[in-house]
Amino acid sequence: MKTLIQATLAFGLVASPAAAAELTVMTAGDQNMVDYVNQYLGPLFEKQNPGVTVRAVGTGPGDAGSQKILERFEAQSKAGTATWDTDVAVVHEKFVGPMVKGGYLDKYRGDIATGTLVTRDNARMALGSNVDGYVMPMFNSQTAIAYNPALVPNPPKSYAEIAEWAKAHPKQFGYNGIKGGASGVSFVMGWVYAFGDGDAKKLMNGPFDEAETKKWDKAFASLRDFTKDATLTPGNAGTLDLLSRGEIAMGPVWVDMFYSWQASGQLPPDLKLVLPAPGMPGQPMHYVIPEKTANKELAEKFVALATSPEVQAEGIVKRFNWYPGIDAQHVQASLDAATWNKLFKDITPEDLAKYGKPFPIAPYNSAILEAYERQAMN
Amino acid sequence: MPQRLLALLFVLPALAVIVLLFMVPLGASLIGAFESGEGYGIANFIKVFELYRWDVLFTVMVVLLSTLLIGFFSTAIAGYLTLGENPRAVAVLRWLYRWPMFVPFIVVGQVLRTFLAKNGLMNNIFIELGLMTPISATSFLDWRGIVIAFVWKQVPFVALLVAGAMASIDRGTIEAARNLGASRLRILVEIVVPQIATTLMVGLVLSFVTMMSVLSVPLMINAQSPTMLTADIAFRINSYGDYGVANALGFVSLLITAGAAWIYLRHSVKERA
Repeated sequence: MKTLIQATLAFGLVASPAAAAELTVMTAGDQNMVDYVNQYLGPLFEKQNPGVTVRAVGTGPGDAGSQKILERFEAQSKAGTATWDTDVAVVHEKFVGPMVKGGYLDKYRGDIATGTLVTRDNARMALGSNVDGYVMPMFNSQTAIAYNPALVPNPPKSYAEIAEWAKAHPKQFGYNGIKGGASGVSFVMGWVYAFGDGDAKKLMNGPFDEAETKKWDKAFASLRDFTKDATLTPGNAGTLDLLSRGEIAMGPVWVDMFYSWQASGQLPPDLKLVLPAPGMPGQPMHYVIPEKTANKELAEKFVALATSPEVQAEGIVKRFNWYPGIDAQHVQASLDAATWNKLFKDITPEDLAKYGKPFPIAPYNSAILEAYERQAMN
Repeated sequence: MPQRLLALLFVLPALAVIVLLFMVPLGASLIGAFESGEGYGIANFIKVFELYRWDVLFTVMVVLLSTLLIGFFSTAIAGYLTLGENPRAVAVLRWLYRWPMFVPFIVVGQVLRTFLAKNGLMNNIFIELGLMTPISATSFLDWRGIVIAFVWKQVPFVALLVAGAMASIDRGTIEAARNLGASRLRILVEIVVPQIATTLMVGLVLSFVTMMSVLSVPLMINAQSPTMLTADIAFRINSYGDYGVANALGFVSLLITAGAAWIYLRHSVKERA
C-alpha cells in the first residue's frame, strides 16, 4: 500500500526536466534558510555564472522539512525517475544517514576545492552513520541557555545548578517540551547526558545497545519534577517570546535565533547566553547533492561557493549569526574582529569545544524522546 | 442503453477523483494503522493507549466543550439577529459577526498567542483598567486558549447557518408568542430553537469534525501536555518517521468523528424522509 502511495506521489512530482540553466535548491528549516539562498547566496552565484538562475524551495521548519526531502528522494528513486527535481538540498544531520543508506546521494566532497577545509567530526559521522564524503556542512548551530541578567545575576553553570535554580524559582525557567521544536529536544538530551546513569559518549557515538535505554529512569523522574516547576512554552520562538516579555527568566534557545532576534530588536539587548556543563547538543545543516541531479557540475560549483571562507564569513557568520560550517580558523581571516567577538562573546570558543555536544545517534534519539513521552509527561 | 452508459461516463471522472485521492489514501492509512515492525497486529494501538490516552481524552473534552460553547453563542447571535428590536444594533452585529470566518486557523493561533499570554494584550488591558494586579495575571495559553480559538473561529459559521434557518421559519409563531406576552428569551428557547434544532445540530457536527482536524492552533497555543491528537500525529511523523502509530492515532480520531458523522447522517436522513 505504502508503495502505491509513494508511486502516486512520485507520479505527481515527475520532474519537469529543469532547464539546463536552472539550479533547484531545496532547503529544510525556517524561513531564514530560504531567505539565505534567495537574498544572498543565489544572487551571488547567478552573478558569477551568467545565464544560471537559482530557485530556492523551502520544505518547512524542523525535522519535518528534512523528512519531506527524504521522502521526495525515496519516491523518485522508487519510481525510477532518470533525473531528479533537486540539484542541491540542505538537510538536518539526522536525515543524511538514511539518504546515504538509500544510495540517493553523490559522493562529492573530494571533487570540490573547499572539501579540505572541513575536519570536524560531524562532517564524517552523522549521528552514528558514516557519511564521509557525501556532505559539506552549511553551518553549525548550537543550543544554549538564555537568561535575563536583571533577574538572574549569577547564572547557573551546569545542569545540576539549573535544576536547583528552577526549584527555587518556580515557573521562571521555560522550555518547549519535545513537541514544539528542537531547542526543547536539545535541553532534554542534555539532561539525559547529565543525569542518565549510562555513558553519554555511547549515546553520541553508538553503537546502539538496548540495555543502555534502561538507564534513564532516574533522569526522567527528576525531569518530570523539574518540568512541574517549569513553564512550558509554545515552540522555539515561544521561549524567546516569553523571555522578551519577562514571563520567564531563563530557557534553552538556538544561539543563531537568539542573536538574530536581538539584532532585529525582538529581544532586549541585555539578555545573555550560557552553555552549561556537561554540555548541550548542537547540529550542523548539511549540503547534499542527489546522485541523479541533471546539473551535477553546477551543483558542485554552488556548494563550493557556499562553503568558501568568504561566503561562510559574510553570509553564515555575519548576516545570520550561525557558527561556520567549515573549520573556524579558515573563516576568521575573512572576518572583522568585531563580528568575530560578537559571536563568541557569551560563549567562548573554549566553552564551545568543551560543552558543544552532538545529538545522540538516531536510535537513542528516538528512544529518549519516547521515554520522555512515557515517563516525563504521562 | 447508451444514455445510461453516457451517464456513467459523466460520473467516471468524479468517481476516479474520489477513489484515487480519497478512498485509496484513507484505506492505506487504515491498513497502516495495523502495520508495525513486527507485521500486522495491534502494537500501534497499544502504544497509542500507553502514550496518548490522556491526549485522546483531552481532545474529546476540548472539542466537546468548544462545540457546546459554539452552540450557545451562535444561537445567541442568530437569535438576536432574528428577534432584536434595535435595528442599528442588529445591523452592526450582522456586519461584524462573520469576520472570523475569513481568518485562517493559523492566524487565529498567532493572534491569540500574543493576546492571551501572561503579559499579553488581554491581561495588560485588565491591569490598566485596574481590574487585576500584574502578580495575579496568568497565561491562558493552555486548553482554555484552544477553546477560545475554536469558539471564536467557528461561531460565525454556525451562526450563519442558524440565522438562515431562523429567518425562514414562520414569523407567525413568533408574533403569536409575542402577542401572548412571552419575553424574547422565552420565544428564542421555546419557539425558535426547537424549529431550527436540526440545522443547529448539523452546524455543530460540522464544526466538531473541523476542530478535530486543526493542527496549527494546538501547536501554537498549547505547549503543555496533554495536547491534541493532531499535534501527536505530526510529532510521530516528524520526529520518529513512525507512520504506524500516527495512522493508529488517525484511526482513533476517525472513530471519534465517525460518532459525530453518525449523528449527522441520522438527522439528514430523517430530514429527507
